[in-house]
Amino acid sequence: MGKPTVAFFDFACCEGCQIEMTNLGDEAFLELLNHIDIVEFREAMSETTKEPIDIALIEGSFTREADRARLEDIRRRAKVVIAYGQCATTGGINALKNHQKDYKEFVYGHAAGMPHLASDSARPISSVIKVDYNAFGCPVSKYEVLQIISHLVHGKEPVIPDYPVCMECKRRETVCRYHEGDHCLGQVARAGCGAPCPASGIPCEACRGFVSDPNLASLKKVLREEGGLSERRAETKALMFTANETAGRPA
Amino acid sequence: MNAYFISAHDFKPFITRLIEARRVIGPVAKRNRFTFERVTRAEDLRLDYDVTILPPKKIFFPPVQDLVHFEGERYAGCIEAEPQVLLGVHFYDVKAIDMTDQLFREKFADPNYLAAREATTVVASNVQRVSDAAFWGSIGADVAPKGHDAFLTMIETGYVFETRTPKGAALLEFGRFRIAEKSEVAAADRVNAEILEKCPERIDHPAEAVAKRLWEVFGDEALWEKLAEDCFSCGSCNVICPTCYCFDVQDRWNLDQKSGARARSWDACLTQDFAQVSLGAGATENFRESRGERFRHRFMRKGAYLNKKLGGPACVGCGRCSQACTADIASPPKVINKIMGAAR
Ligand code: SF4
Ligand code: SF4
Ligand code: SF4
Ligand code: SF4
Ligand code: SF4
Repeated sequence: MGKPTVAFFDFACCEGCQIEMTNLGDEAFLELLNHIDIVEFREAMSETTKEPIDIALIEGSFTREADRARLEDIRRRAKVVIAYGQCATTGGINALKNHQKDYKEFVYGHAAGMPHLASDSARPISSVIKVDYNAFGCPVSKYEVLQIISHLVHGKEPVIPDYPVCMECKRRETVCRYHEGDHCLGQVARAGCGAPCPASGIPCEACRGFVSDPNLASLKKVLREEGGLSERRAETKALMFTANETAGRPA
Repeated sequence: MNAYFISAHDFKPFITRLIEARRVIGPVAKRNRFTFERVTRAEDLRLDYDVTILPPKKIFFPPVQDLVHFEGERYAGCIEAEPQVLLGVHFYDVKAIDMTDQLFREKFADPNYLAAREATTVVASNVQRVSDAAFWGSIGADVAPKGHDAFLTMIETGYVFETRTPKGAALLEFGRFRIAEKSEVAAADRVNAEILEKCPERIDHPAEAVAKRLWEVFGDEALWEKLAEDCFSCGSCNVICPTCYCFDVQDRWNLDQKSGARARSWDACLTQDFAQVSLGAGATENFRESRGERFRHRFMRKGAYLNKKLGGPACVGCGRCSQACTADIASPPKVINKIMGAAR
């Protein structure tokens, strides 16, 4: 790929993952623009495109049938589609609602009946179109995204970790949360973030979703026996970012 | 080998002078645990540590390390080897250093490891406090630690400092040492012998018997799957092990898309995709697909595969894996004692 055209698109999300890229800082971000051609990026520019694009970064979950055509159009125009952020890769935090009934009343109160709030269950982008790569995380890791794009620019296959956060946590010699009477989901969470949360003294919440083969039965046991969580808490603990993975995906 | 003595009173000034003169790495406290770090003040040094989260291998073989820096077509290796003193290594970790020395030296010698190793003076120290998972008293008892340059033992009146190499002897100039009395050396020997009996865990079988038994139960799939039932495939038991030495190599580009680095990071055979290899044309195969197979592999590595080459088991009894495993299934004494008793 020469200087690739890159576009960001957003669906059901907070757009925090787009913001995360701008957190690279002016200098780094401007340097990046010398090497990629950003043609659509709502958080930072007003231009939009209908042209073919090299790399489409799609942020957010699929929650409305009406969005299908737009997703299919992006897929037709893009050489490479990257599901960008946890909302897009697995449904992320949005998927919590897939297993609740009263969330609208709870969140919006008397405004719950407004028509624009009507939506279906939250699903990953891959439930509608083919996704080539996943940039996991809530929000994404900007450094990982840079490496994914760099690898594509150089015609290499991006390498996305499929081992637990514990590995990265041990590499930086963090005191394990379990050794301080706390709990953690790092044993089933997908690495790639560099394990910042345990290093700051808080549990990993698996914001990048699970590894492809998470041992959830063992997790529940450890949360109960070592982490001191109640049966019910141990059961629901891993749901925050992984409701579609733990409680089953909506049909 | 010569034995010297330094009084308790003169010890702290010795460390202070050493720190002024050399880059010193030693055990320090980290929250409720210990780690090897650069020591800049004598009072930070914690020779009374029980065990560190990561073993001292990280000093010679860092968890993440750039190997090559490139820019366009140009590239250069990046070996950094600053002279330094690694102080306060327990004897079981010294044994492990001997093993990684051997493993990184054979066939494709690892220049990064060897350069850091050469540049380092290793000062061992006696175990003052025993970790609650330690079993170094009962494993590889006939394997003598020999990777150190000097050995420091705390006795009642001060410290006995036994030098093994000229590198170790070179440290004498920083403290008020005198030749040790016979009684002082005897006291140090006693301290180091007595502590061997203090481990809370033990393996009740000689290394040869364990190796033989591991080979016997190798094919017992049900046994291994059962032992690994709660395994997270998290690799913690590998990366914290002083004798594990696997790494993965990846490229990283800088923003300019021209320069970057080829870097390695610690890898772990317990992780799900460790043994996934390319078959060409986009196809892959995983030759240790199940948890049980991967769990077995670690025990074969620690208790059987390397024994001949290393002259003893590739486990030194530090107990780090027992502590690191949140599922509490990795402890060698528990697993080995169970396997030794398992019905054929
Ligand atoms: S993944 Fe998290 S940060 Fe990113 S858009 Fe979704 S909610 Fe926002
Ligand atoms: S703190 Fe969490 S991520 Fe780190 S080793 Fe412990 S369980 Fe794993
Ligand atoms: S440590 Fe866990 S919660 Fe924190 S960023 Fe990484 S995956 Fe997310
Ligand atoms: S296998 Fe466990 S006890 Fe043995 S040397 Fe490795 S970490 Fe220490
Ligand atoms: S530390 Fe425990 S859970 Fe993690 S890979 Fe090792 S045996 Fe499995």
